Amino acid sequence: MTRTTYKWLLFVRTAIRGIASSPVTSGISVVTIGVTLVLVGAFALLLQNMEELLDQFGDDLRVTAYLESEVSGEALRGLEQRVREIPGVEDVEAVSQDEALERFRASVGSGSALLDGLDINPLPASLEISLSEDQRSAEGMEAVAKAIEGLAGVESLSSGRDWVEGYLRAVALVRGVGVGLGVILALATLLIVANTIRLGVFARRDELEILSLVGASRPFVQTPFLLEGLLQGAAGGALALALLFALFRLVLPGFEFGLELLVGSAPRFFSPGEALIVVVGGAGLGLFGSAAALSGDWRP
Amino acid sequence: MSRPRFRLRGGGGAVNAPRGDGAIRMFHVSKSYLAGSFALRDVSIELAKGEFVFLTGPSGAGKTSLLKLIFGAERPSEGQIVVLGRNIARLGESAVPPLRRRIGVVFQDFKLLPRRTVEENVALALQVTGTPPRETRARVFAILKQLGLQHRRYHHPLSLSGGEQQRVAIARALVNEPEILLADEPTGNLDPELTLEIMDLIASAALRGTTVVVATHELEIVRRYGKRAVRLEGGQIVEDTQPSMPRS
Ligand SMILES: Nc1ncnc2c1ncn2[C@@H]1O[C@H](COP(=O)(O)OP(=O)(O)OP(=O)(O)O)[C@@H](O)[C@H]1O
Ligand SMILES: [Mg+2]
Repeated sequence: MTRTTYKWLLFVRTAIRGIASSPVTSGISVVTIGVTLVLVGAFALLLQNMEELLDQFGDDLRVTAYLESEVSGEALRGLEQRVREIPGVEDVEAVSQDEALERFRASVGSGSALLDGLDINPLPASLEISLSEDQRSAEGMEAVAKAIEGLAGVESLSSGRDWVEGYLRAVALVRGVGVGLGVILALATLLIVANTIRLGVFARRDELEILSLVGASRPFVQTPFLLEGLLQGAAGGALALALLFALFRLVLPGFEFGLELLVGSAPRFFSPGEALIVVVGGAGLGLFGSAAALSGDWRP
Repeated sequence: MSRPRFRLRGGGGAVNAPRGDGAIRMFHVSKSYLAGSFALRDVSIELAKGEFVFLTGPSGAGKTSLLKLIFGAERPSEGQIVVLGRNIARLGESAVPPLRRRIGVVFQDFKLLPRRTVEENVALALQVTGTPPRETRARVFAILKQLGLQHRRYHHPLSLSGGEQQRVAIARALVNEPEILLADEPTGNLDPELTLEIMDLIASAALRGTTVVVATHELEIVRRYGKRAVRLEGGQIVEDTQPSMPRS
């Protein structure tokens, strides 16, 4: 083993000793990091599952333009061509009045006999417009809808299923709140972790002075504190993961069945890789917190 | 009795102090903590490798300040200090620790860690250099045995007598075989018998080639050992006495 290895073994031992010597303040650090990550993680889980749902309904992200009754044949194809040229439009499918009726018949089944009594076709022709990948948001839909609205021959618009737009807004809201909350909580957590480490530095200032007097370098003195923060952070991350999992299992049975019917797949928890990110994120928070505590005018 | 004589700017004289081979050299060094008052004023001195020197003078004369300058705990306000070939005045922050590892210091107040055992306290000086644990244990045990402390190695400093604590501090200063040993009033609160014991320990380091500087106000000790003695008063060297009748 090299001298570096021995030093690192010593650093780890010193860090653990440091945590053990102040279990309460260390515990507060761990719990703080844990709570932050539970909140941020809950938003991440929610968002992840909401977006998954969106993927399933990606096809519904379309705009239907209902046309005036005199538009048919050449005019219909011309209109279709013009819509195709609108930026953000991926594909356009023209549905004539007859086709619309066919579809309606097929969907209503035996009840369609009722329609036989009608001598006119009440269904309008339409253009079904699907959006390109990058336009699949409330704003994108809005922009495309605006462009179509202005075209002659278009009577009314329906933006796919209304809920999609609302859903998109909800996803954006959850993401915004999650990111905002995450940033604020992360900053607060950094402060708390930094304070904990600062307390540790203060409690051990005699030791640090003596270390420095016998020739300890600055990294030698500081590394155990950085490790201490890192370990507290990782512990906080693991705690958050455990709480999130418990929460997930607790809340899930309430709507799992309904979701499965609707989406065809049950909501999922973090993958092992994503779970690792939570723990690493905690470790990072702890590390940054202690680095902040050690920077500034403090000298070992 | 010793014949007092001034020795400014490293003028040769001591048999074992050839010029240019100084472990510690100071050139017109002044130290001022507060503007207008000097703890050290225009001090020039040269200590050879393996030399044993007493630093004497009344309280406030600047003895501790001089030692602090040598191991880089303070920077000189004026002048140059060369320690083991390093210019202290121009030493970068990261160059101080490596220099300190070559200097053992026995502090007046010991500076032992109360929550660590005697063994751990002494080991500290080796751990900062990344010495392997097995080697550390062996060397710590050896030095503790040499100082008659091996049976105390798992005790905590506060459960030891003053003399024992003093010896732990010396053990920590000597364990990595430093090139320079600085001792600030190492016999400050010891009885006469223990004083001699500890002084002999320190003197034995000089025999192995370590440059030893002992700050003390106990002239009795200085007389007894008949070594070179530098007297400070008001931050200035007022006397530099060469050894007249070396005992060892
Ligand atoms: N950190 C400091 N800040 C301000 N003044 C200081 C500081 N350290 C020492 N002094 C002053 O410098 C002068 C020399 O102090 P120093 O401690 O070097 O004396 P000393 O010879 O070691 O005294 P003693 O025998 O009492 O230990 C004193 O006047 C002291 O007040
Ligand atoms: Mg002093």
